[in-house]
Amino acid sequence: MYKSKTHIALTALFTSLSTLSFSKNNMSSFYSESTFLALIILSVVLLAIAALLFGIKKHLTALNAEKNPQDAEPSLYQSKIKPIIDGWNPTIATMAIAGILLVVLGSFGYKFGMEEIGVQQGYAPTQPINFSHKIHTGQYEIDCKYCHSTVEKSKSASIPSLNTCMNCHKYVKADEKYNGKTSPEIQKIYNAIGYDGDNMQYIEDYEQRPIEWVRIHNLPDFAYFNHSQHVVVGKLKCQECHGPIQEMDKVYQYSTLQMDWCIDCHRERGIDSKNNEYYEEVHKNMLAEGKEFISVAENGGLECSKCHY
Amino acid sequence: MSSNNYWKGVEELEQTQEFVSSNANEFSEGLPLEKIFSNDDATRANRRDFLKYFGFGLGAVTLAACNKTPLKKAIPYIEKPDNVTPGVPLFYASGSVSNSEGFPVLVKVREGRPIKFEPNKEAAYFGGGLDGLGHSAILSLYDTNRLKGAMKAREHSPTEWKKFDKEVVIALKKTTASGKSIALITNGSTSLVTNQAIADFTAKYSNTEVVSYEPISYSGITRANNTSFGSAIIPAYNFENADVIVSFGADFLGTWISPIKFHSDYGSNRVPKDGKMSKHYQFESLMSLTGANADIRVPIKMSNVGQHLIALYRELGGATAHNGMETAGNTIKQAAEDLKAAKGKCLVVCGSNNEQDQILVNAINILLNNYGSTIDTTNYYKGQSADESSFESFTKKAKSGAYGAVITLDVNPTYSNDAAKAAFAKIPVRISTAITMDETSRNATHVATGLHPLESWNIQEPYKGRFILSQPTISPVFDGRAATTSLLAWAGADVSDKKELSHAYNYTKSVFINTIGGNFNAAIEKGVIENTSSVNVPSFNVTTEGIIETISSRKKTETELILYQKVGVRDGTYGNTPWAHEMPDPVSKVTWDNYLSVSMPDAKKNDWKNGDVLKVTTSTGSIEIPVLIQPGQSKGTYGIALGYGRVLPEEVKNDLKDLGKNVYPMVDMKSGNANYTIAGVTFEKVAGARLYEFGITQTHYSIEGRDIIREASLDAFRKDPKAGQHFHKPKPISLWHDHDYSKGHHWAMAIDLNSCTGCSACIVSCSIENNVPIVGRDEVRRRREMHWLRIDRYYSFEAPEAKELSVSIVYGGNQTVAKGEYMSQEKVMEAYSDNSENEDTAYDYYQNVKVAHQPMMCQHCDNAPCETVCPVLATTHSTEGLNQMTYNRCIGTKYCGNNCPYKVRRFNWFRYNENEKFDYHFSNDLGKMVINPDVTVRSRGVMEKCSFCVQRIQSAKLTAKRDNRKLGTDEFTVACAQTCPSNAIVFGDLNDKTSEISKLYKNERSYHVIEEIGTKPSVQYLTKIRNKQESINKNIH
Repeated sequence: MYKSKTHIALTALFTSLSTLSFSKNNMSSFYSESTFLALIILSVVLLAIAALLFGIKKHLTALNAEKNPQDAEPSLYQSKIKPIIDGWNPTIATMAIAGILLVVLGSFGYKFGMEEIGVQQGYAPTQPINFSHKIHTGQYEIDCKYCHSTVEKSKSASIPSLNTCMNCHKYVKADEKYNGKTSPEIQKIYNAIGYDGDNMQYIEDYEQRPIEWVRIHNLPDFAYFNHSQHVVVGKLKCQECHGPIQEMDKVYQYSTLQMDWCIDCHRERGIDSKNNEYYEEVHKNMLAEGKEFISVAENGGLECSKCHY
Repeated sequence: MSSNNYWKGVEELEQTQEFVSSNANEFSEGLPLEKIFSNDDATRANRRDFLKYFGFGLGAVTLAACNKTPLKKAIPYIEKPDNVTPGVPLFYASGSVSNSEGFPVLVKVREGRPIKFEPNKEAAYFGGGLDGLGHSAILSLYDTNRLKGAMKAREHSPTEWKKFDKEVVIALKKTTASGKSIALITNGSTSLVTNQAIADFTAKYSNTEVVSYEPISYSGITRANNTSFGSAIIPAYNFENADVIVSFGADFLGTWISPIKFHSDYGSNRVPKDGKMSKHYQFESLMSLTGANADIRVPIKMSNVGQHLIALYRELGGATAHNGMETAGNTIKQAAEDLKAAKGKCLVVCGSNNEQDQILVNAINILLNNYGSTIDTTNYYKGQSADESSFESFTKKAKSGAYGAVITLDVNPTYSNDAAKAAFAKIPVRISTAITMDETSRNATHVATGLHPLESWNIQEPYKGRFILSQPTISPVFDGRAATTSLLAWAGADVSDKKELSHAYNYTKSVFINTIGGNFNAAIEKGVIENTSSVNVPSFNVTTEGIIETISSRKKTETELILYQKVGVRDGTYGNTPWAHEMPDPVSKVTWDNYLSVSMPDAKKNDWKNGDVLKVTTSTGSIEIPVLIQPGQSKGTYGIALGYGRVLPEEVKNDLKDLGKNVYPMVDMKSGNANYTIAGVTFEKVAGARLYEFGITQTHYSIEGRDIIREASLDAFRKDPKAGQHFHKPKPISLWHDHDYSKGHHWAMAIDLNSCTGCSACIVSCSIENNVPIVGRDEVRRRREMHWLRIDRYYSFEAPEAKELSVSIVYGGNQTVAKGEYMSQEKVMEAYSDNSENEDTAYDYYQNVKVAHQPMMCQHCDNAPCETVCPVLATTHSTEGLNQMTYNRCIGTKYCGNNCPYKVRRFNWFRYNENEKFDYHFSNDLGKMVINPDVTVRSRGVMEKCSFCVQRIQSAKLTAKRDNRKLGTDEFTVACAQTCPSNAIVFGDLNDKTSEISKLYKNERSYHVIEEIGTKPSVQYLTKIRNKQESINKNIH
């Protein structure tokens, strides 16, 4: 790993600053677009009223001071704040304020920009169903490929369709935890596919709707990634990129998914030239050159159009 | 004056001021640098402005940060279909969209969305490729203007089908009760399913009259065959068996009858094998795609075709010789000799729609023993054989009020027939089954919205005994219903789904079992069934004397207007697909427009320029249309393309709206058949009209006098396989180390200029495969078309017969050019100098131009000039020989485009997929469904270019790796090569010694374009060989 210290420090600084901003993705579950708008309008109206009242008060005080000069007392600003500000060096003060603004606003901007281009390590949005990988893969040791069944065939590992869930959840209702009632999370599957958990049968003519999961791993469109290439040809374990998924109650993005992360791995890892006939020639050349190992990078794995097209 | 042999357009040849100045620069509009760096305060950026923009930028970013990051959803199937793997395409054998008679294709489907057509290799008879329009027509599936369900007149939202059916049935029963007839208008249907449904419908409503209608008529052929052989058919033509082809105005490579099949057949015999290739004579008026590929092309008047046929017939000994007719003398003699020498292995075709002409053609082919070898009347062609008399009698009867109802089954006569509208107005109930609000549906009382061909089941029989099976590749996008299902519903059948299988499926299956028989599923999977009979030679029993008499007595015309079809638009049925219009016409290179094509002598005589607007008046009316000068066109002939002027729904706001003029009303129907050659036309310049600017790609880049096209005659090639290539080459000195491709793959391409006809199917295929945006006419005018692959079309002059001239060409030095050789304009003028004082014939030599087509895309140079100038290394070289373009690195300096000698790099001036100005499929949700998910949609500000379909390379390699095997030889190919109907483009791995490309690289004809500058391209071209006797004698050192 060649990550510089400054890089880590910067990332830490910006990440800590950006946690100041409320998590926008969680927000969506509380506010809809329109309530958010209504709240903004309401606060603007309230601010306007406050400003109006303040103005009236100021005006009345001024009138009073005019009539009874003896009553007039110096305002808080006049007596306390103005002397302090007057004491400041104007240049330094302006620069300081501008600096603070730059750092604060800039960090918001940085966070936004990074999310916009998909840099979001640790991203763990709330999902429509509180599905726990810890229970399914950790506790019950269900193979990843049982649900993510296309991982060996396609570029996408694919999220299982509801009928895959129903293979087990037709019977598994976790009702022992809920006084004989179907677990509310499993009930969400039933509601989507139209299954009557009590009578253990599908409901006729039910209007099914899919579960809208929130996508966690967002590669930009200009980067091509293929799961089958890495799992079948590269023989990687899911955990090598996705982390200790069997321990996650709520899935988060384990890796950075940034290009340097891809490249580091391509530099370190070798290709399995011995056991794949496609690499027969590569293997022969390798032995001829007296090498025992050839990295993905050496085999052209760093060339732009291997991933960008 | 330039001394080039080749020129791309009249502007280049004449070196007009505009052409020279616009070609000096890479981009048509420069940057306003002077303005920025001037001392004018109003335009200069100052410190305050800088602070303003800086502050605004910061504030804007902050505000944007307060917005929530868009949540990306991942929505799985509820129940995943067994055979669907997200991310992996499926291929279904089905029928093409644009060919109403049926054409086999494979449909590439991703996650339930058809995204591309590919050729069905199982159906070799139909040719190994596709055409440009066929590719584009996939967009009609994702047309936002498709009707959403059954519609009634003057109602804006769909009606429920049950209610709709009830109303239609009541109307039909009322018609029956009143004693009036029901007219059922269909195309000369080759669909077994439709025909069965019509039979079932007619059984219920015995007062039904079936009218067959096709926008373009081939009745000349069907009637001639009826007279000659007793069967009104269009025969099947087998160009692959023909060593000599003589065509009189038949554009068989572009638009005539079944061009894709003809392309493949023709192309298979155009590559010299053992010193032999087919010889092609073309006698024609307009410069057609077919004429552009002919070995010997003779400009004639279309009205004169009969005379030429007689002359040829006489030369062949069919009748006694006769003098005094205007024919292309020597060439007819020469053609006759060649034909006689190739008896039984030649073919004479004619594009005239006149019965007598076609009978004479039949007589000639009988004389030449072509029936049974190049012409097959047994397994004949069944499409497009509707006779216009059927529709004509319908319009006559309709006017007398004989019909109570009319049903139009997937035909649009209101657009393509002038008499239709008035006839329909007399019929109270008008039912259409279209899928969009076309001209006929707009005047209908009921629109029983049909299904798109890609949503339908069908069995078609385009050739007798050859069946094409179509299966749906997507669930109906909207609430339409198959037209046949609608017919049957009105006939009282129960059309509800049975066991989740649609009525259309069950019905199609029953038709299959009753008519063809066998395993339905196996047939559907293969997509094609061949059950042909052995070929019989028909007996010809017509005396030709009378016919010759009639033809000879025809009046001569001074000027004639020819209504023709364009390769990309055809009859206009699918004229609302933007890809087809953005594809430049293969010969004129005009996009997005209809024009009056004019010969150079006529233009000079009348002082017309390109873009002058003329008023064209015929006996049926007049239109105003801009002029385009077409080299090669015969003097006295004018051409306007059919298929334009479609009336589209009001919502259409893009360039498709009001596109060109509809000239169907000009078709001459007076003599009982549709005549596309119109006499008695007058032209008048519209006073005060602005010069019209075409979106024309031909002169966007200049040839700069370089040796780009190479050609030789067959004779010369026989003597010297390297003929045409003896150019002085400087010794290559390289600044760079050579790339080492000895390991792994080395991708390369070879393009045979002999089999490339310029049909442009590859352009559209490439655009669809690689998500190339449609930019519209205005952007093409600014030279901003985005096609990764273009086809350059070059003209050259031919020395007149019996002259030997001295010509100096690019590399200096004088040389002798033999007769029939290509040469500069000055020399041609010199040769014609005897005539040049005569004003009438001064520019006649413009009729004799030769055409060469050359597909041009990124050459993937080993020493790529683009790579060395990129300041951010966005374009780099791969170890497999690819010139890689990395969009995410590109910052848009455009240096690479500037430095590319082949001019193949394209800059994204806009974010086409999100810009409302480019309101084509790319910027709406429905149209976006056709996007290839494996290729990035490029953003504004980046360069792009041909990638050698790297997504296909990567996918093929990955499949091999996953299957633990070596990559098979020619296991996959790129989009352009795959779609080429004449197999002119070959792509493959040079390191695989058994691959097709490795063999082609050793071919003597191969050369690289501008190889003298040392770019070392990975695309190799093969010299064009013309089958001519004259020797070519280019020896420059």
